[in-house]
Amino acid sequence: MDLFDKLKELHEQGLEEIKKATDEQTLNKVRVELVGRKGELTKILHSMRDVAPENRREVGQKVNELRDLFNKQLDATKAEIVKAVLVKKLEDEKIDVTLPGCEGHLGSKHPINVILDDLESYFIGMGYKVVQGPEIETDHYCFEMMNLPKDHPARDMQATFYIDSEDLLRTQTSGDQARVLEKHDFSKSPLKMVGPGKVYRRDDDDATHSHQFMQMEGLVVDKNVTMSDLKGTLEMIAKHVFGQDRATRLRPSYFPFTEPSVEMDVSCFNCDGKGCPICKYTGWIEVLGAGMVHPNVLENAGIDSTVYGGFAFGLGLDRFAILKYGIDDIRDFYTNDVRFLKQFRKEEN
Amino acid sequence: MLVSYNWLQDFLNLDQDPHDLAEKITRTGVEIADVKHPEEGLKKLVVGKVLDCKGVEGTHLHLTHVDVGEDEPLQIVCGAPNVAAGELVIVALHGARIAGNEKIKKGKIRGMESYGMICGLQEIGFSDSVVPEEFVDGIYVFPEDADVKPGQDVYEALGMDDYILDFDITPNRADTLSMEGSAYEVGAIVDQKPKVEDVFLKEDGPDWTDSLDVKVDEKLAPKFYLRKLTGVKIQPSPLWMQRRLWNAGIRPINNVVDVTNYIMLLTGQPMHAYDAKTFSNGKLEVRLANKGEKLTLLNEKEVDLDPNDIVITDGEKPVMMAGVMGGLNSEITAETTDVILESAIFDPTLVRKAALRHANRTEASSRYEKGVNWDGTEKAINMAALLLRNDADATVDEGIIKATDTKRKPVVVKTTVSYINHVLGTEISAKDMIKIFDRLGFMVEHDGDNIAVHVPNRRWDIAIPADLVEEVGRIYGYDNLKSTQPLLAETHGGYSEKEEMMRRMKAIVEGQGLMEAISYSLTSPEKAVRYTKDPKDLVKVQMPLNSSRSAMRENLMTGLVDAASYNFARKQTQLALFEQGRVYDHDGGTFNEHEHLAALYSGNTFAENWQHLTQKVDFYFVKGQLTNLFTAIGIDLEKVVYKAEGIKGMHPTRTAAIYIDKQYVGMIGMIAHAVTLADKALRGSELYGYEINLDVIIPMLTKGMTATPAPKFPAIERDLSLLVNKDVTNQEVENVIKSNAGKYLTALKVIDVYEGSHIEVGKKSIAYSLTFLNRKDTLTDKVVNNAMDKIRAGLENDLDIKVR
Repeated sequence: MDLFDKLKELHEQGLEEIKKATDEQTLNKVRVELVGRKGELTKILHSMRDVAPENRREVGQKVNELRDLFNKQLDATKAEIVKAVLVKKLEDEKIDVTLPGCEGHLGSKHPINVILDDLESYFIGMGYKVVQGPEIETDHYCFEMMNLPKDHPARDMQATFYIDSEDLLRTQTSGDQARVLEKHDFSKSPLKMVGPGKVYRRDDDDATHSHQFMQMEGLVVDKNVTMSDLKGTLEMIAKHVFGQDRATRLRPSYFPFTEPSVEMDVSCFNCDGKGCPICKYTGWIEVLGAGMVHPNVLENAGIDSTVYGGFAFGLGLDRFAILKYGIDDIRDFYTNDVRFLKQFRKEEN
Repeated sequence: MLVSYNWLQDFLNLDQDPHDLAEKITRTGVEIADVKHPEEGLKKLVVGKVLDCKGVEGTHLHLTHVDVGEDEPLQIVCGAPNVAAGELVIVALHGARIAGNEKIKKGKIRGMESYGMICGLQEIGFSDSVVPEEFVDGIYVFPEDADVKPGQDVYEALGMDDYILDFDITPNRADTLSMEGSAYEVGAIVDQKPKVEDVFLKEDGPDWTDSLDVKVDEKLAPKFYLRKLTGVKIQPSPLWMQRRLWNAGIRPINNVVDVTNYIMLLTGQPMHAYDAKTFSNGKLEVRLANKGEKLTLLNEKEVDLDPNDIVITDGEKPVMMAGVMGGLNSEITAETTDVILESAIFDPTLVRKAALRHANRTEASSRYEKGVNWDGTEKAINMAALLLRNDADATVDEGIIKATDTKRKPVVVKTTVSYINHVLGTEISAKDMIKIFDRLGFMVEHDGDNIAVHVPNRRWDIAIPADLVEEVGRIYGYDNLKSTQPLLAETHGGYSEKEEMMRRMKAIVEGQGLMEAISYSLTSPEKAVRYTKDPKDLVKVQMPLNSSRSAMRENLMTGLVDAASYNFARKQTQLALFEQGRVYDHDGGTFNEHEHLAALYSGNTFAENWQHLTQKVDFYFVKGQLTNLFTAIGIDLEKVVYKAEGIKGMHPTRTAAIYIDKQYVGMIGMIAHAVTLADKALRGSELYGYEINLDVIIPMLTKGMTATPAPKFPAIERDLSLLVNKDVTNQEVENVIKSNAGKYLTALKVIDVYEGSHIEVGKKSIAYSLTFLNRKDTLTDKVVNNAMDKIRAGLENDLDIKVR
């Protein structure tokens, strides 16, 4: 057989072998056999001396052509094999993306604090300081300074948790007002504060009563604070919390520490004022109490009530949460049932 | 106070819709909680005259024929015991609607055709509590004076065409607890002067004022008036009065009792009528009760009188609890012929306390406690006498015994028009302001800006200029006030620094997956000091609602354990709860409040999952969470020391006290078996938690920081595996490593702990990973090797530890 036939045969055979290789190892072996240093093509080159000189050039050319062909084919087959391996690997790695993820614990804010935080940041934005006072309060600050006379019903043993004749668990956050009024230097700046916190009343716990709940007190005092300012401020709070489209109304009311005193109602957000069980068919829902600071409260704190005046308001955070989230039992706030609490994860702010 | 719209028409000319009027009153004076129109929802209820009435044998039924104004009388079967021929009754015709939206149709009862129903008052919507006694268990029968004819609607005759406005008054507006007071208020609102009439009473009996020796303590009863009537004919009141009473929520009883109630409704002055026989020994005394005295009240409740109850006595025994309720022993009965009427002012606080003490608040006591018009005492007693003269054929004896007669001067409040405008933020002219006072019935002296306002005694709530601001503001209309924002010098809002720090910590633990709880501050004395390292004196309330809420907590953990119990009982056992709140004590003679933060975990670190990538919560998991919290708030962990210590309520060998710079800051550990075993829901559960005192920690924190760049040179890590005596703690080992490691040791981590069969008895193996770093240069092996040699030597010398 002459070299040309051999080359022809190698051509066919080589391509066939390359084609048969299905893994990288076999393919490498084929590569070594065909185009390696001791491979078939090299062997043919080595046997060139047996070739007639006039044919050597042609043989050399053919060998090179064949090497290029083999290399090209080897590379192509290798790429196919690599791809096939990758495809297989990916197939093996396939996961069911619909299986559930691994969930950690997800924290949540207590609903009352969701409301409180929202209100606090709202007031801070308007220049109010957030002030905290003691929960174990004296009769003096809780009542006396706030213009509740000695025989006022709120001062009954029946209504208030007394610790001794002088100390008690505060029934309202209003004591914070007195403490701040006493200390504030009005020559430096007007007073704008809110005072949130726990309060206690001697009520048996039921769906609508709790011996412990949370209030927030607000107080603005300076030389030119008017009831129109109070009205504007209250309307802003009510709309902020209950929605911009709520109507509001002020009703005369009575608190010992304000005069005039008012209560604010918002139009029922359930029936939009048409009347339903939530608003007891009145179309209105009472949300807070307020008024112009009673001159006695100012004078008790050593402030000249003919020069300074202002407004105060108080709201029940539990009540706000009850109204805003449609809760029908105040005890739900204090039993800490995680099935109840976890709903408020979405109310983070 | 239930105020009748029709009755108001006696004083005013009202033409607005009662609901609109109610809204106006609510916005201007007193909240109207409700407007009731009794006939609403009722249909085809007419007056009928029973023509004949026969008992149906073997039943309680009657077969009647009733004239309802039609050509033919209706046959109606009636089961009421008091139905009888000749009566004028309420008939629900075929197609009628009665109370509860019930429809009446003709039908057959026991085979007898019945073309309607004869009704009792309750069946057409009356409350049981106002139906006259004789009609409670049967049909209603119109009295002779009713002036009704068969066929006409019943509503007007029964007062059901009225609108009843429920005045939900605040304690300062007791002046509206009467029709006259309400008329003044509504008059001011609609700008009409109410027609309030005086009484002209003819006395035709003899002067009686010397016949009774009356002794009254002026402090208890500053005004105490009595009148005597004789020859009283006890009978039902006229229908017009009964109507007014039941529409005001009061049951008509007899003409004497009804008159006292009617006068109270009309004038606001509570009245009482005694059978004159009560004082047949010629004595009457108003005093405080003596200890041990008893009195059976008109509602047949026997009460043990308290030395702070005011009583009226016959000189010996109490016959009335003053201002609250009469005694059964002085009651008006069918046999009563002579009556003593009382119109008085009693001390408001004593009356309120007595009513509260004996759980017996009445229409009278609620008026006394809020304040009664001192100018109405005489008018009320005369008006009552007049009505009894008319309706009970009584003879009015001459004279009023005024045992006490303290006068109260009307208040004059001086202020300025500009002050009132300044507070309201309005620009009301002096003329308009005076007009507002005129509407209220207040006389004003006016001199430029200055005004002096004369306040009638019925409005005892007004004493200072601020009170006038309210009157002007509300009549002017709060709706008419502008809505403005305070125009003040700039203020800087925000939290205190302490509060900022607390909020930061709450945000961190929330981010760690904890749910915020709020528990009650009041707990049992025992729980109050559980989980507390050195309990202080408790803060206890004097009159707790129950013993489990009698002391203020000294720790938050107890609330979280209660919450765990509540949740476990409901099969919720995966808990990660925290609470930030105060604890309370009475240490050193002062009441102290401290801010704490506590967390409680149970169950797994991750929610149960199909990959089982979770583990049970344990001490080290919780400690890791707390460590993260400390890191996040910038506490130097080197300074945090955990010491195994016993704390009540905590597992004795799985609890540590935590110290920072030698100060006790809190504790961490497992809730004691003694606690969980004693709680059915928690039995067998493992709860881990921590509680830290923020009042101690927050002052340790610093605000602000300076950043350092990330290291530019590589760190070198070395592992160290040690064989350690079992009783040597990690802390001790770490201390020795750190003190020998030199300045380049930047991290020391425990990477393995092993105790068990593969090592010597009494030993454990701990492996550490040490990281060395020089921020200024590349560290050489030589430096690190030196450090490691020193560490090994130190461990061997100090703790007898061999490197494995």
